Amino acid sequence: MAAAENPRSDAPLIVTRRVSRRYRRGVDEVHALEDVSLSLLGGHFVAFMGPSGSGKSTLLNLISGIDRPDEGEVCVAGQRLNDLSEDELAQWRARHVGLIFQFFNLIPVLSARDNVALPLLLTRLSKAERLLRAETALRVVGLESRADHWPRALSGGEQQRVAIARAIVTDPDLIVADEPTGDLDARNAEAILALLRQLKSEFGKTVVMVTHDPRALRYVDAAYHLDKGVLLEGEDAERAAAAIHAAAGGTAARGTAAAGSR
Amino acid sequence: MKYWGLIAANLRRNKLRTLLTGGAITLAVVLVCVLLTMPAGLDALLNAVANNTRISVHNKAGIVYSMPYSFVRKVRQVDGVAGALAMTWFGGAFEEAGRVTFPSFAIDAEHIAAVYPDYPIAAEQLADFQRYRDGAIVGRQVMKKYGWKIGQRVTLRSTVWPLSLDFRIVGEIAAERAPYFWLNREYLDQALKAKRGRGLGIAGIIWVRARDPNRVNAIMRAIDELSRNSDAETACETEKSFFANFFGSLQGFVTIILIVTALVALCIVFIAANTASMAVRERAAEIAVLKAIGFGRQVIFRTLLVEAVALSAAAGVAGVVTAAGLTGALRAFAGWSDALGPLGSFIVTTPVILQGLLLSLSVGVLAGMVPALGAARKPVVAALHDIF
Repeated sequence: MAAAENPRSDAPLIVTRRVSRRYRRGVDEVHALEDVSLSLLGGHFVAFMGPSGSGKSTLLNLISGIDRPDEGEVCVAGQRLNDLSEDELAQWRARHVGLIFQFFNLIPVLSARDNVALPLLLTRLSKAERLLRAETALRVVGLESRADHWPRALSGGEQQRVAIARAIVTDPDLIVADEPTGDLDARNAEAILALLRQLKSEFGKTVVMVTHDPRALRYVDAAYHLDKGVLLEGEDAERAAAAIHAAAGGTAARGTAAAGSR
Repeated sequence: MKYWGLIAANLRRNKLRTLLTGGAITLAVVLVCVLLTMPAGLDALLNAVANNTRISVHNKAGIVYSMPYSFVRKVRQVDGVAGALAMTWFGGAFEEAGRVTFPSFAIDAEHIAAVYPDYPIAAEQLADFQRYRDGAIVGRQVMKKYGWKIGQRVTLRSTVWPLSLDFRIVGEIAAERAPYFWLNREYLDQALKAKRGRGLGIAGIIWVRARDPNRVNAIMRAIDELSRNSDAETACETEKSFFANFFGSLQGFVTIILIVTALVALCIVFIAANTASMAVRERAAEIAVLKAIGFGRQVIFRTLLVEAVALSAAAGVAGVVTAAGLTGALRAFAGWSDALGPLGSFIVTTPVILQGLLLSLSVGVLAGMVPALGAARKPVVAALHDIF
């Protein structure tokens, strides 16, 4: 993965227009997202924050092509995701998105190197090239010496680093992380946040993260606040940011982003 | 295949379960292969004892009913017949045994060579059998069982006729598994005349040998035509068919075994399918993650299916090799053990090997198909939602 100047441009990388997503839970219909519009520039590190059930993970799923909206449209890197079938979305994700989960979700029967190389199985690269790229990705996250270790032999922080290496190994446009620090202690959480920021600053990656962690505010370029499926704006957003700021003991906040234009 | 590393790693994930599942499939394949050799084995047995030119003629009402002895002479006149002899059940019980322990027949001594030229009987012994009215020719199996020697005298009590007769063993059918005891028909005929004033007069079965195997069907039709509208209409059949009917109950048993085998195979499919389903369920989180990072439905389906098929195919190969080894060992033992003799006919042939492999592949496909399809078809968001 080549280091790059931040390729920020005026054209947004991610655009959601009046996006809604509803789920059926038994006889009830749950409005997970309601009329959310958002524009995110490339080369930024942003966070979606909010209480449980606020719709932040749903929004993350929509912009990473894992889910599709019931209404509205989602465009990422110029691709309108609504138009893609399930299989086309899978191919698109393989090329354009790196995913990081809360519980690392490494394959326990594969070494760290093979875990990182997994997404490359979907490419035409030879085995040697795949392993070389996996080792490069492991070097980026500082785990090249642990390449032959099984996941169970790694600490939580190390496993999450391997997961990050797996997310960046295909050199995707977009890295999405769902609660990447949720299962880590404070020290490892800080390290992971710093690593994600490094991906943005050194490699020009766009990183979108869902988190409850107020520490994240010190690393992100912007935070978007959601509540009950709605993207908060104006005073509501500032109140939410202030609450998180207070929870973080006043050390947080690079800034709270204004909600995207409608 | 670039996914093989992932598939192999998943097979190694739970070694005990993989081993047990593979072992169950291996056992099923062994069982099926061995049982599949039975019809061919029985056929081989029949071919070993039957001759393609020999014809059995018996009463159309069944082999327990007799025919007039005079009919044998008519049969000998049929065009294409090389020889014919009457064989009548004597039902001799050896004194020491106290019951019938081997088949004994009264037989036309002078026609044996014409009807049974393939039987290993020394010419001088056959001549003695014709010369001595009380002579007997005995199968090697019976000779060995009772430790009899040529020249020895034995007494058999008939369970059919009210008499006991002394015999002089003059010859041996030198085949390891020959169970017969042949006595001279004329001897029985004269003994009956002396006992009740009336000779034997009947034939239980008439054995006929055709000169040309291609004429067998025509001869059978001609013989049956000869007896039409008589008191004892006949039914002809080839020697192989005769023995096949004789072993009919055994074939029914084989059919039952084959049905049971099919059910066993079906059980194995269910067991393997359950194991595959469990494996997929346990890996739901991993499969969801694979889908999320871009593994499409086809890739997920193929890797899970190949995993199930690879396991069952390996087990199938092990099963076929074991079955071949097992039957090979039985054949080797049959060489020096009479008790195992017939088992030597059960050979794992190429078709049986192919059927065994096909079974194992089918088990893999059937067992892997449903869970693989379920895992592949589940939308990625639903898969992630189920686990996070």
